[in-house]
Amino acid sequence: MAKRARRSPARTKTTNKGRRSLAPVDKRTLSQLVGLADTVSTAATRRRAPHVDVPTRSLSNVRYNKSKRFLEMGKATNRRELFNLNQAKSYMQTMLVASGCKQLIDESKTTSIRGLFYLLKHTIEGTQEETFDTQNECDPVIEDLEVTLNALREELHLYAQTKGAMVGQIVIVDRGDEIDCSRMGSGGYAIPSIVEKDVIQFKKHSAKFVLHVEKDTVWQRFNEDKFWRTHNCILTHGGGQPPRGVRRLLHRLHTELKLPVYCLLDNDPWGYYIYSVIKQGSINLAYESRRMAIPEARFLGLRSLDFGRCELTPSVTINLSDQDRKRAKQIADYPWFKHKKPWQKEIARMLDNGFKLEVESLVSKDISYVTEEYVPERLRQRDWLD
Amino acid sequence: MVRSRRPAKRKASRKATKSDASKNGRAAANGQSGPSRPRTKRRRATAESLAAKQREISVSEFFAKNRHLLGFDNPRKALLTTIKEAVDNALDACEEGGILPEVWVHVEQTAPNRYKIGVQDNGPGILKKQIPNIFGKLLYGSKFHRLRMSRGQQGIGISAAGMYGLLTTGKPVKIMSKTGPRKQAHYYEIRIDTKLNRPEIVNNRGDGVDIPPGEKGAAAIAKHGIEWVEVQHGTRVTIELEARYQRGRGSVDDYLEQTAIANPHVHLHYIDPDNNSREFPRVTDELPPEPLEIKPHPYGVELGRLATLLKDTKSTTLTQFLTGSFSRVSPKVAQRICEAADLSTRTSTGKLIGEKVERLYKAIQDTKIGNPSTDCVTPIGEPTLLKGLHQVVPAEFYVAATRPPAVYRGNPFVIEVALAYGGSTGAQRVSREGLTEMLGESDSRTLRQFLKNTFNGVGAEVADRILKEADVGVRVSPARLKPKQIDRLHEAMQSVTLDEGQTMNLIRYANRVPLQFQQGACAITQAVMNMNWRSYGLSQSRGSLPSGPLTLLVHMASVWVPFTSESKEAVAGYPEILRELRLALQAAGRKLSMYLRQRQRVRDQGERRNRFLRYLGEVATAVHRINDANRDELYERLVKMAKRKTSEADSRFDNRGRRIDPDESDFGENVLIVDPTAPANASAPENE
Repeated sequence: MAKRARRSPARTKTTNKGRRSLAPVDKRTLSQLVGLADTVSTAATRRRAPHVDVPTRSLSNVRYNKSKRFLEMGKATNRRELFNLNQAKSYMQTMLVASGCKQLIDESKTTSIRGLFYLLKHTIEGTQEETFDTQNECDPVIEDLEVTLNALREELHLYAQTKGAMVGQIVIVDRGDEIDCSRMGSGGYAIPSIVEKDVIQFKKHSAKFVLHVEKDTVWQRFNEDKFWRTHNCILTHGGGQPPRGVRRLLHRLHTELKLPVYCLLDNDPWGYYIYSVIKQGSINLAYESRRMAIPEARFLGLRSLDFGRCELTPSVTINLSDQDRKRAKQIADYPWFKHKKPWQKEIARMLDNGFKLEVESLVSKDISYVTEEYVPERLRQRDWLD
Repeated sequence: MVRSRRPAKRKASRKATKSDASKNGRAAANGQSGPSRPRTKRRRATAESLAAKQREISVSEFFAKNRHLLGFDNPRKALLTTIKEAVDNALDACEEGGILPEVWVHVEQTAPNRYKIGVQDNGPGILKKQIPNIFGKLLYGSKFHRLRMSRGQQGIGISAAGMYGLLTTGKPVKIMSKTGPRKQAHYYEIRIDTKLNRPEIVNNRGDGVDIPPGEKGAAAIAKHGIEWVEVQHGTRVTIELEARYQRGRGSVDDYLEQTAIANPHVHLHYIDPDNNSREFPRVTDELPPEPLEIKPHPYGVELGRLATLLKDTKSTTLTQFLTGSFSRVSPKVAQRICEAADLSTRTSTGKLIGEKVERLYKAIQDTKIGNPSTDCVTPIGEPTLLKGLHQVVPAEFYVAATRPPAVYRGNPFVIEVALAYGGSTGAQRVSREGLTEMLGESDSRTLRQFLKNTFNGVGAEVADRILKEADVGVRVSPARLKPKQIDRLHEAMQSVTLDEGQTMNLIRYANRVPLQFQQGACAITQAVMNMNWRSYGLSQSRGSLPSGPLTLLVHMASVWVPFTSESKEAVAGYPEILRELRLALQAAGRKLSMYLRQRQRVRDQGERRNRFLRYLGEVATAVHRINDANRDELYERLVKMAKRKTSEADSRFDNRGRRIDPDESDFGENVLIVDPTAPANASAPENE
């Protein structure tokens, strides 16, 4: 029922136009969307083949800016043409996503990317073909549109699945609700997908740094031990590869509150890559690095030398797979790791070990070894990789 | 009692056929006095009592009993065979006389299961005294004793048809013949005396009727009730016989259609039993070149024949005989044969008997003798084949291939192949009325069987699909369909695409005569099935005819076509013939696969265009929702552009992205391509 109610106004949306005054951000996004549509109309009138130039989102079009110390998107674009057999469908999908976003802005609603997928999915008239077969087909198109319009996902009234949590010595205001992150119980504050200033404001804080851990299980350990209280910090996790909400929040904490960010991640290529994304930005979202990358973020652990240093037993190790070795070599080759000797040594040592270590493996020493000894010791010794 | 006597009689007559050979006196049952004393070892007959019953059997009697040998096994086949023999004779006569043939075929129902067939030509006519012999005597003709390409061979056909008519209806054969505009015409009613194999003239107390030329003649024709289309010269034969008329595969209509394909120089007029007339106008005014008569080639002569030839020859010496009776035997070759046979070149032919003939025969086989001259065989020719096929079979693509002459067993022959691809099929072309009639006439027990038997190219699978679409039961009797069901069936037959699962329609010809029965036993069918059609872009399951909307025509022209039986229904599979068949089929297959590839390209282009068109609607709608542009106008513009774009792209690149030269799609001369989208064939299912 609810679904139908949401859909039916879609058919008559243009009549709603101008009914509500739009926020300035929305006005800008809307004009960009209209600009995109206008290229099609003009091209058709001038009898030219319509096309969109989508900035290339791949390693080839990503440049490591040495002075800014994060990834930047290059100028290369992919031309997506309507009258190209291989691109016709994705062109159509791009336009479809644009029209869906326009509808969301008109109605000032937001939806998840999955919601948008369902909003736009239908059978193409006169065929048995679907506009989108799976959400995997839809998501990249959304990212393309973000890059093309130079609009953020939230500006298109879209959000991704919420992932990641925060506790610590900070009080924030989220859509007008005051939230004391030191009183969040065991669950913590779920970091929303959109954490821009108009949604979340920092009210006050006493934290001295941010500790970001890889996943929920480790985060629980730290929260239960009230690590954030004893060390006066903010504790976050991103459920593996952190979503952009978490990254953006870390970035804001770092830049606005000048808090250093420390990362506690697994000792495996995946962990290195998570650090790399937090620090330099991701290849896929290189266009957002400016707002997300934290070049000063530090890699606290686990280190490949921890096996000997912490006297771990071989039973807690996991053997490296061929894929892991390949990935490790790729990461060692990234320009932002290539000229850092400690990192080269770190990766070489892991390959030499032939195994990886998870943060949880420290539990074998003692349940609270990680919170009571490992992390405090690293911080005290200023022992981290940069 | 009656039952026990019957087989005995048959036994006796079989003995007699073996003529004098069986005098061992095995008893005929006639003398037996019943089953009461079965064990008595009494002699049932003596040599004397048998001798009383042994006598000569005339050819006519033999064939009267064994009519299936001549193609009169059932009423349906009898009708067709009669028409076929008459038409064959008509065409042979016209061509020999150098006249462009015009043939009238009239089939008329006189009673249930009884039909009157009239076939008339505009040939040179027949002399008065020859008429009774030609039509009233079996094995009387001009074609048996010569080696020359012609339709008829033995001189059995038409007189056998007359005999069959007489046997089944008691009506005599009626012949009207006229040799010139100012000559008298003759009208005969003839019955064949089966005992003596002799004609018996019935009308005018055994004299026949002479009809004067001009006005008076017209009156006489009317007076005697003779059916006659006024021509300057020609012959009409009318036979009434017990028969069955049925449309569909193997029907008279089919036969005439196929005759028209292979004989595009013939104008056929046809009136069917329902009084519908159909014309097959001639496509070319050129008579096929006159085939030359040749002497037999030594390789093709069997031992017995050789002995007979030796006996009958007028030459005195062996060299004279060899050079005079055979083709390709020069005095030098004759000398070599004689040497090999260890016989003197001057041996008298009269003295060559027994073992010497055998030696001579062997020597001939062992001596190298050149192939016979091949100008005695006149193929239809590629351009004419194309014209003929195009005239009758609606399709998109036609190709013809004529092989150079080759030789089997000393007989020259030519294989020709023509192929038509695409277009609608018989099942799609049939009208609602035609279908109703066919249903009524059919003797199939189920509807599925009816579809399979009546229409070319409809197999079990397609029949099932049609019936499913029509929502009519599979096992329904065809005659019991209600009008509404027929409507649905007709609609389904039009709409179900037959392209897939449709088997090839194979038409076989020997010396321009369509072969309609015993398809499976024929060397032509074997050759077609043994070829791998998959490499030419068709689908084919192992050991069967390929499938697809195909009509394949195969013609074998020869001075002597090796039929497997007297009813001339299947060609025997000599290795040389199979080889030529294969080569001809391959030649046509290559052109077909070229065309299919090109067609696939065109289809890809359409596919591409469709793909754009599908998305254009979505794009237009999306754009309209964003900037309020006029959706329909935008859509129109985009569509126009898409069409331009795709045609540009396709003219320059093929499906692999290679540049193509326009010349590459040049098929050569023996190909005819009809645009399926042309208004004439608007029904072609192309633009899907």
